[in-house]
Amino acid sequence: MRSILRASALCWAVLLLGCKEPPRGPRYRGDGNAHARAGGTLVVHHEADVRGLDPATSYDEVSQIAIKLLFDGLLDYDYELNLIPRIASALPTISEDGKTFTFHLKRGVRFSNGRELVAEDVRWSMEHMLAPSTSSPGVGFFSLLVGLSEFAEGHSPHVSGIRVLDRYTIEFELTAADQTFLNAMAMPFTYPVPRENYAAHPTDVARNPVGAGAYTLEEWEPGVRLIFKRNPRYFEASTPRADRVLYEVNLQRESAFLRFRNGDLDHAHRFTPADRLFLRRSTQWAPYRVEGSGGDIWGLAMNCEMAPFNNVHVRRAVAFAMDRERWSRARNYALRPIGQALPPEIPGYSTTLSSVQSFNRARAREELALAGYPNGIEAPVTMWISEGATGTLYAELAQADLRAIGIKLEIKQVSFSIYLQQTARAHTAQMSLAGWNQDFPSAATFLDILFHSRNARPADAENRAFYRNASVDALLDRARTERDSVLRRNLYEQANEIVTRDAPWAFLFTSIRIEAYQPYVRNYRIHGLWSEFYRDVWLDLPRQRVAMRAAQNPWRNLAALMPFGGL
Amino acid sequence: MDPRAWRRFRKNKGAIVGALLVLFVTLTAFLGPLAAPKDPDLQYSEGLDATTGLPVAANAQFRMGADQLGRDELSRLLHGGRVSMQVAFGATALAVFVGLAIGVATGFFGGVFDTATMRLVDVLLSMPFLLIVIVINQVFDSPSLAVLYVLLGLLSWTTLARVTRAKTMQVRELEFVQAARALGMSRSRIVVRHVLPNVIQPAIILGSTLVAQIIIVESAMSFLGLGVRPPTSSWGTMLHDGVGFISNAPRLVLLPGALIVAAVFGFNLLGEGLRDALDPKS
Repeated sequence: MRSILRASALCWAVLLLGCKEPPRGPRYRGDGNAHARAGGTLVVHHEADVRGLDPATSYDEVSQIAIKLLFDGLLDYDYELNLIPRIASALPTISEDGKTFTFHLKRGVRFSNGRELVAEDVRWSMEHMLAPSTSSPGVGFFSLLVGLSEFAEGHSPHVSGIRVLDRYTIEFELTAADQTFLNAMAMPFTYPVPRENYAAHPTDVARNPVGAGAYTLEEWEPGVRLIFKRNPRYFEASTPRADRVLYEVNLQRESAFLRFRNGDLDHAHRFTPADRLFLRRSTQWAPYRVEGSGGDIWGLAMNCEMAPFNNVHVRRAVAFAMDRERWSRARNYALRPIGQALPPEIPGYSTTLSSVQSFNRARAREELALAGYPNGIEAPVTMWISEGATGTLYAELAQADLRAIGIKLEIKQVSFSIYLQQTARAHTAQMSLAGWNQDFPSAATFLDILFHSRNARPADAENRAFYRNASVDALLDRARTERDSVLRRNLYEQANEIVTRDAPWAFLFTSIRIEAYQPYVRNYRIHGLWSEFYRDVWLDLPRQRVAMRAAQNPWRNLAALMPFGGL
Repeated sequence: MDPRAWRRFRKNKGAIVGALLVLFVTLTAFLGPLAAPKDPDLQYSEGLDATTGLPVAANAQFRMGADQLGRDELSRLLHGGRVSMQVAFGATALAVFVGLAIGVATGFFGGVFDTATMRLVDVLLSMPFLLIVIVINQVFDSPSLAVLYVLLGLLSWTTLARVTRAKTMQVRELEFVQAARALGMSRSRIVVRHVLPNVIQPAIILGSTLVAQIIIVESAMSFLGLGVRPPTSSWGTMLHDGVGFISNAPRLVLLPGALIVAAVFGFNLLGEGLRDALDPKS
């Protein structure tokens, strides 16, 4: 017995004294080079894994981070989300009727295998992506291309709307003037790929990427790390950047942040609440911390075809009942409350809509009374959420807010795939916790997809609220073809306002991205569209160790273990 | 109970500590809801710090602080035990009943029935428990508490049945059973009067350790999000939800964790104490 006590005392001592806290501020600083220089290895991470590196099929966030290093497309966005030419020499010329887009390519752009990238490659890559055998998730974005259905049905070997005019010129023709086509052309689905690589790797091209991007894949240890090497043949090869990017995957949040604080990782993102707070409060990290908008929208989707949400007053009551400030507080201010269908950086966001969907319990009760439920709704409402602790947290917040106005909320938690399938079926889910991330910075990726009646299909509906409003449809259809950006913004603003008033969703918040990088990491900025965009980073090396006081206080650790210690 | 057993039990300090812990935890679980100062499901906005959004520490309003949604931690702890204990006791009662019945029947009658049942036990023992729970959770898409303990009970009788069977086979051959048989006593009477009293002791001991195991399983299930539905609190779900705040508000993990440890430790100590007291030979 005594020996057991002694052993456990020793264990505690080791635990308390041996837990060396990482330094409070950065451990290394840069060398102080004023001008960008090439060289070094950028070490970054992600908590998930890269699924594949084929731009035509790999449409998940983590894969896209890597794809942005390996490939480039005709068009891209700058950090302010303006469309800019990349492999194209300029933005395309658009015909008078707005249906034909002509791109001129830069000369001398090469794939990393050395071959020159020409207009024919752009065409082949597009047709490869659009071919039914590729089953790319991107086909929907190009549905207006002339000749697409003949091509998809096998009646034609080519898409007649894609025409190579000469070695460096390509033209796209649409069946209707659609301004979002330019956004679609900046998506990774269109990134040119060399056809010989697909011939060499008929089944595993996603593991053997060859593109025209700033980096090439040097090594891939599945589930562990990917190593990218600077592409000497890149058309902007003279711009200095890191020699290598070491991308560690499947790294847990907590341990990733500890490694970052110890100087073993160069960039940190996606934090636990505790780490996020540490970073927000830290003055030493403040110069190396960046915050940006998540470009997403979250809310409670209410099925407009199912009782009680077929009554607009009930939906408005729910929208008024949500104490969005409290939600933000419960998430340690990692989200920004919002009461409309678009996040602030998207053209069409309205500054005058703030009171239409805001927290107002008295108004919520009035709306419920107007709907004929002065004493609340007796039958419980079921809300579908997918797996994960955050979903449960939001569900409990919604439960409390609805309880306050007399609506009982039951939670149905299912796996993500079941959630997607069932909430997309008509007359199935009364309510669901829904979020939507932009595909590109246009109101169309929110309003068209989520609220256009064409997407309220009986199954596989993206309009999960099954909301139908002919005037919203008309506004959205007009906005898509409107070439004047001011008028377009105006149309989207009107549609946004109608949707917000009709409340198919109780709009709740948009997320805030918070990231930090090491002092020697230079030219890293949060990109409004691409997550963790590393292409333009250079390293201020050799890094210098920062002298630090040895602040080892074992009592701090002990205090933290006490039930009432800390906060 | 044999007075000598009671004396042995009293002398065993571990057993007394265990019994006290069990008493404490059981009282907390069943009387706790009456003593809870607040509604455990009500989310107070003053429960979250205005600048950081972290749950507030213990103060006059929240005597053990608030949880991550601004609910009163003390009230949730007092309510949360009920779920854990209900499941543990319910499942154990079912497991002991099924285990005893099958163990005595197979041990006493033997033959093909015995062989077949024991193979079934082997199959059940070889199945990973949590996997079954996950499958069941997908089948009944939101299992109620009753489903949960029936399931736990139906999966945990196997060890008990084996031990009871062995003991029954041993008792069956003893002289007093043979004497009873020679006197023409019916089989059912022999089982009830002579076999059961002799096999009930290992069942009690195993049962008390089973309670401890089921508490852990319940909290593991809650931890995996398979247990009770929000906003109902259980110690396991509270532990799960507190993990994200372990460095800022460690009490959210430590308090429910301590109660789970107390319950498991208590039932284990009690079980061992009962074994030493009732069955000193083993």
